[in-house]
Amino acid sequence: MTAVHSQQVSLRGAAFWKAENKGLAEPHGSKALGESAERSSKHNRQIAMAIPYWEEWREAAHQIKRYAIFHLDDLLVQFEKNLTARGCIVLWAKDAEEANQHLLNIVKKHNVKTVVKSKSMVSEEMEVNHVLASVGVKALETDLGEYLVQLAGQRPTHIVTPALHLSASDVGRLFAEKLGEPFTSEHEKLTDIARRHLREEYLRADMGISGCNFGLADTGAICIVENEGNAGLSISAPPVHVALIGIEKVIPSIDYLPQFLNLLARSGTGQKLTTYTHIIHGATPGRTFYVILIDNGRTNVLKDPAARTALFCIRCGACLNACPVYRRVGGWAYGWVYPGPIGSILTPHLVGFDQAGKLPFASSLCGACGEVCPVKIDIPHQLVHLRHRAVNTKSPVRSPLERLIWNAWSWAMGGPLRYRLTMGFVRIGVRLAKFLPFHPAQLGAWTRGRDLPLVPPTTFRSWWRRYGKRFQQPSG
Amino acid sequence: MNSREIILQRIRDNLGPRTPEAPPPVPTVWPRTQVDRGTLARRFVEELQAVHGEAILCPSWDAARQDFQRLVRDAGWKQGLVLDRPEAWRLASDISDLEVHRVPEDPPPRDIEPMAVSVLQADWLLADTGSSVIICNYPGERLACYLPPACVIVATADKLREHLPAAWEEMVPLARQPERRGEFVIITGPSRTADIEKILILGVHGPKRLVVYVIGE
Repeated sequence: MTAVHSQQVSLRGAAFWKAENKGLAEPHGSKALGESAERSSKHNRQIAMAIPYWEEWREAAHQIKRYAIFHLDDLLVQFEKNLTARGCIVLWAKDAEEANQHLLNIVKKHNVKTVVKSKSMVSEEMEVNHVLASVGVKALETDLGEYLVQLAGQRPTHIVTPALHLSASDVGRLFAEKLGEPFTSEHEKLTDIARRHLREEYLRADMGISGCNFGLADTGAICIVENEGNAGLSISAPPVHVALIGIEKVIPSIDYLPQFLNLLARSGTGQKLTTYTHIIHGATPGRTFYVILIDNGRTNVLKDPAARTALFCIRCGACLNACPVYRRVGGWAYGWVYPGPIGSILTPHLVGFDQAGKLPFASSLCGACGEVCPVKIDIPHQLVHLRHRAVNTKSPVRSPLERLIWNAWSWAMGGPLRYRLTMGFVRIGVRLAKFLPFHPAQLGAWTRGRDLPLVPPTTFRSWWRRYGKRFQQPSG
Repeated sequence: MNSREIILQRIRDNLGPRTPEAPPPVPTVWPRTQVDRGTLARRFVEELQAVHGEAILCPSWDAARQDFQRLVRDAGWKQGLVLDRPEAWRLASDISDLEVHRVPEDPPPRDIEPMAVSVLQADWLLADTGSSVIICNYPGERLACYLPPACVIVATADKLREHLPAAWEEMVPLARQPERRGEFVIITGPSRTADIEKILILGVHGPKRLVVYVIGE
């Protein structure tokens, strides 16, 4: 099994080369992931098509999210005020580093030794497990998929189903190696092993960490949805609960929540409602409840009016399942926390175009992602918009060679004489290229599976000079 | 400036000047169809079964208690944890072979762990999804929902609502109460996962078995 630690993941563009993408090297990874994603996508699509109001729901959700993002400052202040009134301690973090510092302060204050953690994408941005481990705190993922990838020393490959790339046999070997359990590839037994090991962790944990699906500004409540019950245990068994919340998760009112619960469950896992929906109203008596509101690049998205809808995302994973590129390359290829089409439009803003400017190019622009998005994020147009930005700002897309090629192309297309001259060189070059003993290095991926086109004996221009007259309409 | 001010200022700077606007109207998620209680009950049963839960319709409390006695015997449950709510106790008290304990407000989780079953009382039942909505005020009540391997929920038929939006108009005023603490949890079937090869397995962390008694005509 291939270990991909977070530190090893490169963001120098998407790792779509097989040699760089460890996910593709998993024995079952690519095939299992592709098939599962396709099956989920079809199933969820059927569920959506059965709802007569589906399009109205999407549009309404889009409008609510639009309002929320355009009033984010006011809503965050209201959210903070109502959280505080319910006994919650609210902390703000500009970036992952500050969020981790808050977390470490809480750990120190409450003398925390062990942490149970439910699924949280923002905690992946913060690399919470590594940070806590660095001060000797054991942080254990409790979502089964996250637990598996943590045990394997890997990163999640999907937002909703993080261990989609692992087969039952892989999991059996993992449990044998890491937990000393007898090998089995039976799903029920594997799940029982995980239950047994994690149960003890809940009972002795000093602190629970969760994410948040929706922050309700008008009541100061947070909503978490899940299927396994691990979030319920992580937030109610330990005496301290810390919720890590990206600032874009706030919605104006509890009145809108049923709308989003319906959309999220159907788009994420094809359910009418997830097994557990937790609406948490501040700290329960005798417990301490912290909320850390985290920016970490989200306000960068607001700078670009054409890109703001990327913050509408409710992390259902529908666009991943629908994407033919994601199905083929898996989550690790995207290099950071958010894979798939949503990762391609979100990551460049969160980590900078200089690091992730290539991601918007990891798409066939087929439009499937935009069609399935439950909050109607126009992902395909965002991808095109970000490609435009990537080539006009400092990014890996603007390599000196590529810039040279495009500048040369621009010069060649700038006048008829230059065009004729260039095409003359191209005709000679194409004829000579077949004698090369190798494929040109930078064009290797393109030329490996393609033949150079045959050069016709005459150019169109000279053909037209000779025969074009017969096709011309007689004047008058 | 502290981080709070920096983040808020970044938002204001990056969004630029905005004209005031009213929030969007609250959408009608599902229309109300005013179906009768019998239809709601049957729909609830079908939907809960579809997510691998068990729903038992009982015309009376006596019938429910008899059935619960059978359930306890068949499952071999010896110790039960009962929510401090009247209907939960009405179902679970004086059941032979079952030693019942009232859910403490804030117990050490280890005290709850040996319990074979929890008996909870639902505040609403949602027919369209087979869901039970439970108001948990204390940590012990929250733990009782997730920790024991089996969970029995009881509610009278008048708690049935067509769907989540229908119950929402009653839930929201309670959620808005300033003194409100704890959690509203909506439970739709037993704990489940499909994280290994997308194969559905029940009871990965929470209860493997979920039984809901709906009592009344």
